[in-house]
Amino acid sequence: MTYKDYKRPGVEPIWCLGCGLHVVFTQLSNLFDELEMEPIVLSGIGCTGRTAGYFNLDTVHGLHGRIIPLAEGVKRARKDKEVIVVSGDGDLLSIGGNHLLHTSRRDINMTVICVNNSVYGLTGGQLSPTTPKGAKTKTTPGGSEIEPIDAQKILMSNKRYFYARTTPVHVKYMKEVIKQAIEWDGFAFVEIISLCLETIGKTMGLKKPSKMYNWLEENFRIVENKQVLDDFELGVVKNG
Amino acid sequence: MKKILQGNEAIGLGAIKAGLKFYSGYPITPSSEIMHYLANQDIEFVQTEDELAAVNMAIGASLGGMKSMTSTSGPGFSLMQESIGFAHKIEVPLVIVNVQRVGPSTGMPTMPSQGDISQARYGSHGDYFPIVFYPNSVEECFKYTIEAFNASEESLSPIILLSDAFLSHLYETVDIESINFKIKQRHLKPLGDEKRHFTGLLSKGGIPQTRNSDLYKKWIQKMKEKIEKTSKNYEFFEYIENKDSDTLLIAFGITSRIISPLKENYSIFRPIRLFPILEEKLKEVAEKHKKIVVIEMNEGQYKNEIERVLERKINLIKQTGGSLSLRQIKRELDDI
Repeated sequence: MTYKDYKRPGVEPIWCLGCGLHVVFTQLSNLFDELEMEPIVLSGIGCTGRTAGYFNLDTVHGLHGRIIPLAEGVKRARKDKEVIVVSGDGDLLSIGGNHLLHTSRRDINMTVICVNNSVYGLTGGQLSPTTPKGAKTKTTPGGSEIEPIDAQKILMSNKRYFYARTTPVHVKYMKEVIKQAIEWDGFAFVEIISLCLETIGKTMGLKKPSKMYNWLEENFRIVENKQVLDDFELGVVKNG
Repeated sequence: MKKILQGNEAIGLGAIKAGLKFYSGYPITPSSEIMHYLANQDIEFVQTEDELAAVNMAIGASLGGMKSMTSTSGPGFSLMQESIGFAHKIEVPLVIVNVQRVGPSTGMPTMPSQGDISQARYGSHGDYFPIVFYPNSVEECFKYTIEAFNASEESLSPIILLSDAFLSHLYETVDIESINFKIKQRHLKPLGDEKRHFTGLLSKGGIPQTRNSDLYKKWIQKMKEKIEKTSKNYEFFEYIENKDSDTLLIAFGITSRIISPLKENYSIFRPIRLFPILEEKLKEVAEKHKKIVVIEMNEGQYKNEIERVLERKINLIKQTGGSLSLRQIKRELDDI
């Protein structure tokens, strides 16, 4: 197989031109090809929620917020298969937040990839749990007054954990940490910061993909051997 | 050999006999004994963080190839409704047990009710056609749990098994070995080795078709026909005719047990499959009687269904607030 064979024929992604989700999908396909694996891929609802359906594998597009428990059920029945969830920040950290707490605590051997676009994109740009403080959205016209959620700290509330943060601009690094997550024996969570161009990108003056990618490259840096990642740091924190 | 069993235990035992391999649930009165029983069996068992996780995990495990079940009561059943529609949409076999207690809201958690009849039929959004069973004895709890699994495998849909606080906590002697049953094997291929896409979106061949009205119409018709076809193999009811009576009593679940002495004076029809409604049988039986009385523990949820099907006036005797009284039922029958 080549990475192109991982794309389901007859369907084109709904994602905007230049959206980081294209990069995530292509690099996941590359990685599956390199690792010669045919995982079960599952997604929730939202722009990222469409990811599973674009893979030419056995895939599930679940309910909003409920894909982690569904994937846990699949994994418990198919312990021989790799189970990978790809979903958004609203799906995994807001409506589905409770399930992240508990499936990670049960330390189920699966990988959850959270594409954090910092907004509810598919519904038109409302405040999401990861929207930066001060950012203007459809539902925070005066700027958000609350701090965003820190997924890293949720994972770190467990004794065993694997958390990685990357962006689609750091392509090689993104692939490397996803590979590590898949190989991690337990629950692994990868957060990919990839701001929505059309909504929050627009209000931040980063609507053009080139501007967004430059912004990600200039503001985020890869760090190693840290216990806790600070804001704008990319890396892996784990305890096993 | 006869054994003393509780209604909830009989549901757990029936599930095991039917081939249950996965159970996920969240504790709730009066259903918890089902999960207590299954926690001690050799199956994949998860006590989840809530009922949303319970039903979705059971859906996932079933997709993964394991016969799966979850059990709950009214409040948890309400939380599961969105997922029930999803399970119908992606066509996954599953059994969901709802042990009814008095609602709405937290209501009267230890008291029996039949207040979730409409929820069992219409609880999820959009149109769908659920199969719903409601036994009335401990032996039947065992038997119809097995049938619920069989119907779910045959229809590729979630089957609702209703009980109530009274029936689920009832202890009766049952001779399990003497009960004959057939088991339907899984024919859906487990998730993982094909190239299918299971999605809640309207789709064709795994590809979303979310603005195709013609496709929707074909799809919903196919769903309806599928359930109708499967239902033909599960025409469960009990009918006791009293030739001297012009009045037909209709009752199900624990209510039908309470009124059973009335067979001396009335005909009694007891649907075990509540949905799809046993239309033909009901019409046939109704024709022989001048008066029809539905006796149920709610404000008339099933009575309204019967009225719609038979297109005639139906009397209602309601037993609400968790209490059941044969004396009161008799008194009201005399007034009718």
